[in-house]
Amino acid sequence: MTPVDYLQFVLAPQVVNGLALGVAVVLVALGLTIIFGMLDVINMSHGEFYAIGAYAALALGAAGIGFWFLLVLVPILMIPLGMAVERLLIRPVFDTRDRHVTTLLVTFGLGLIVEDVLKIVFGANTQRPPTPIPGATEILGIILPNYRIFLILVGAAIVLGVAFVVYKTRLGAMVRAAAFDRNMAASLGVPVSLVYAGTFAFGVSLAGLAGVLLAPIYSVFPTMGRDFILLAFTVVIVGGMGSIWGAVVAGLLLTQVQALASLVISPVWTDPIVFGTMVAFLVFRPQGLFGRLGHA
Amino acid sequence: MHDRLTQSMRASHLLALLFVLAALGLAAMGAATGDTFYLRLGTEALIFAGLALSVDLLLGYSGALSLGQALYFGIGAYVSALTLMKLPSFWLAMAAAFLATLIASIIGGLIANRVRGVYFALITFGLAQVMAKVVYNTRELGASDGMIGIPVIEIGFGPFSVSAGSPVGFFLIVLAVIMGLYALTAYLLDTPFGRVLTALKANEKRVPFLGYSVWRARMAAYVLAGVIAGLSGALYPMLRGFVSPELMFFATSGNAVISVVLGGVGTLIGAIYGSVLLVILKSIIGSWTEHHLIVIGLLFMLCVMFLPRGLVGVVRPAIETWLSRRRPAPVAAADPADLPAIIAETARTSR
Amino acid sequence: MKTAAITMFAAGLLAATALSGSAFAQSGPIKIGVVTPLSGTYTPIGQQVRWGLELAAKEINAAGGIAGRQVNLLFEDEEANPSVAVQKAEKLFQVEKVDFLTGTVNSGSTLAVAQLAERNAKLAATTVSFADSITTDKCSPNMFRVNARAEQQSVALAAWLAKEKPKAKVYYLGPDYEMGRSTVAAFKSSAEKGGAQSGGEVFAPLDSKDYTQYFGQIRATRPQVLYTSVAGNDTVRLLTQLQDFGLLSGLTVVGASGTVTSQNITAIGAAAEGFATGVGYSPQIDSPANKTFVAAFRAANKTDPDLYGADSYGLLFAYKAAVEKAGSTETDKVREALRGLSWQTPQGTKTIRAGDHQAMQPMYVVRVTKGKFDIIDNVSSENAIGPDACTRF
Repeated sequence: MTPVDYLQFVLAPQVVNGLALGVAVVLVALGLTIIFGMLDVINMSHGEFYAIGAYAALALGAAGIGFWFLLVLVPILMIPLGMAVERLLIRPVFDTRDRHVTTLLVTFGLGLIVEDVLKIVFGANTQRPPTPIPGATEILGIILPNYRIFLILVGAAIVLGVAFVVYKTRLGAMVRAAAFDRNMAASLGVPVSLVYAGTFAFGVSLAGLAGVLLAPIYSVFPTMGRDFILLAFTVVIVGGMGSIWGAVVAGLLLTQVQALASLVISPVWTDPIVFGTMVAFLVFRPQGLFGRLGHA
Repeated sequence: MHDRLTQSMRASHLLALLFVLAALGLAAMGAATGDTFYLRLGTEALIFAGLALSVDLLLGYSGALSLGQALYFGIGAYVSALTLMKLPSFWLAMAAAFLATLIASIIGGLIANRVRGVYFALITFGLAQVMAKVVYNTRELGASDGMIGIPVIEIGFGPFSVSAGSPVGFFLIVLAVIMGLYALTAYLLDTPFGRVLTALKANEKRVPFLGYSVWRARMAAYVLAGVIAGLSGALYPMLRGFVSPELMFFATSGNAVISVVLGGVGTLIGAIYGSVLLVILKSIIGSWTEHHLIVIGLLFMLCVMFLPRGLVGVVRPAIETWLSRRRPAPVAAADPADLPAIIAETARTSR
Repeated sequence: MKTAAITMFAAGLLAATALSGSAFAQSGPIKIGVVTPLSGTYTPIGQQVRWGLELAAKEINAAGGIAGRQVNLLFEDEEANPSVAVQKAEKLFQVEKVDFLTGTVNSGSTLAVAQLAERNAKLAATTVSFADSITTDKCSPNMFRVNARAEQQSVALAAWLAKEKPKAKVYYLGPDYEMGRSTVAAFKSSAEKGGAQSGGEVFAPLDSKDYTQYFGQIRATRPQVLYTSVAGNDTVRLLTQLQDFGLLSGLTVVGASGTVTSQNITAIGAAAEGFATGVGYSPQIDSPANKTFVAAFRAANKTDPDLYGADSYGLLFAYKAAVEKAGSTETDKVREALRGLSWQTPQGTKTIRAGDHQAMQPMYVVRVTKGKFDIIDNVSSENAIGPDACTRF
């Protein structure tokens, strides 16, 4: 293989494909980091909400609803679900001494149940919605499927939108205030309880949106929730919990590390490398790249 | 002197005694009816109870949730299996597993103990995942198929010997090992080391002011938990005659956490009751429906939310009251197990 | 619902057995334990196993049972975990006193259950695991395999490939674990005997999300053939991603028998077109026996049988033939009867080789055309089987 061949066929596509995967990971991690950072709640069932979104898209799509409409409809449908979960499961244990551990355990149990319910309702076989935008585009000899280009663009738009809401709007300010000091926010008239439920539901809704967007690429099956979850948690930790920019940078960085490392070493070892990065961050920079939302 | 902790520990010991008596009764019944399956299932439940015990030592006493305790269980099982295939000696296998998990948990502890809370959970989870992957891909360790052909050993005690193939004999040996590990842990928790640990869970920032090293106490707990998991794991291949990488997977660690939550976090004996309960539940529900995840997940969630001290938490206060009536304790009731919370509360108000 | 009915039926029988004492057991129903994954990733395979066995049991019972005794299937979920498989198998052996055991899917479970069967002096069979080791270096006198093993599959596929694409440049992509690697190695050596050249090989982690990172290397080598031994969801991702990247045109994709199956073929959709594999079964086999089987299977389960369903279906008839030949369900007698047994299945005649307990069967090369597996070539059972490498008995 000549160096030009290597660049064109191997290195450049690797970077571009890593980018698409990175966007996918960021989409899943976004909701997780918001729930984590604002509520200090570890949502172990986040992957299952991602799966619910994907299955909802699959089922509604089969019922004749178009993909573009689903992009809006599914996240909206996820909001009452998120609210209910927050009220019924998170709220009762929210004030326990070790909130991290307790919420982690409760949502872990929820994840087990959701996985089994999905299997009962939709069957155990893998399914896949059709790719909404078929075809591929060749740029400088690098082939990139149109849907992945779309995913990268939409992913960027979603991140910008979320960041705008959280950092620039009054609503976002209320949420951040509630995360920073609950009592102070409450005394300033922020409806803290509603803000908490809303934030959780927003995170869940983002997971559902990720499910709709990623289903055509990564397919749909009952255990799909486990797919991204370790990577997403790693991204949240490396990026700094609750930091949206941190999740973006860490998500793109880690997937690039993975993509490029797999060129030189056996791909099996890319997981330990990513994990090693997480350990190194925890040890040397526990606040992550950007520190915690509402706290810095 | 009997303070609240001693009092609640004594209640736990009574429950432990009940457990041993029930187990002995079961063994006698099993021996009388010539049963094999239930005794061996009970043996397996006890082995996994050892793993749950180590999870509770970390979660209930140093407040650290390990999602990867199966790592040490698996190391113990593999080392024991390798030893037994070379030389079928119970004592040698246990010694080898002890050494291997001691070293492994020191290394693991150096990594995991740099962080707390959810980070600790994620690191232990990741460590176990990576190690399981390594075993899964190592041909010398049987790779994804695991290793079969571990001989049925004779366990010698001086002039006597018991076959690991004898359902009653091996059940009693495993019972002795696991209850021995329980007694050792309970004893250590009653020493100053144990008190430092409990204090740590309550208020980490205050402990250094009292002149104790936070890191050293936590590390000791981690290594002790690792070794307990490893010794329990070492018994597994003696019972089942094989090891497989699934022993290290998250399912194994997760089951241990579920057992601890069902039985009661921070009660030690709860881990053992919980593990037995989980095995029974799985065995019954598993034959009835393949959707056992829903039932177990639901029970688990309800326990976390409404029974933070599990089943033992339900019965123990009654036993404590009964015990204190017989031998009054100097410190009055409240919830005795919540001493850490009380320390934390005083610390918070004085901040 | 069906489970509940079966277990209740079983419970009733159990009570009946207990009441009437052990003498009843010899004349009562024959109990066959099925330890198979009914939850987790391997559920779809476990389902096929269950459907195949249930259909066979129904047909056998309707025709008078085995030696006049009804067949009773007892299912347990093994969660694709050898520790669980062994525990459940022991329950079936010790408590339910089953006469025979089957159902294990992953080879770790099959090997562990084989050892347990030996220690309990019972017989077991697998209808799914295709790791060569089960009937070669880790063979067991108490374990039988009625499905084709990896070597039979790769011999058949390589023979076809040598005819279809002589001296082709082949790129190998396998899942990175022992089984995936040995499957690739087995096919590679068969293919290279037939004159194929290697364009390179890569092993991706199990449950990879994205295979695009290997596409660069594949494009750069410009192979004519891609061999893969990934399975389940991994295949869905690999093939659809290859299609999205426009790499499927001009590329012949071939693979292991578990790569594209009836469980994932609808999810793969058009990307599965042209995929070829060596396999012991296809619903398209043009024989009256198979047509009847497929129709009955479809009527009962609303889906086509795949190789797992067919092999599991066939197993019960082998057991029936062996028990009737032996005139007993005793382990030693049935083992003797199974050795060298030839019996009819929807797949044609199968024969259990006495030396290693591996079934010999005609092998097919099938290719996906319009979402169906069309048979495009076949290899006789003698040519596909390979040498007997079992030395334990």
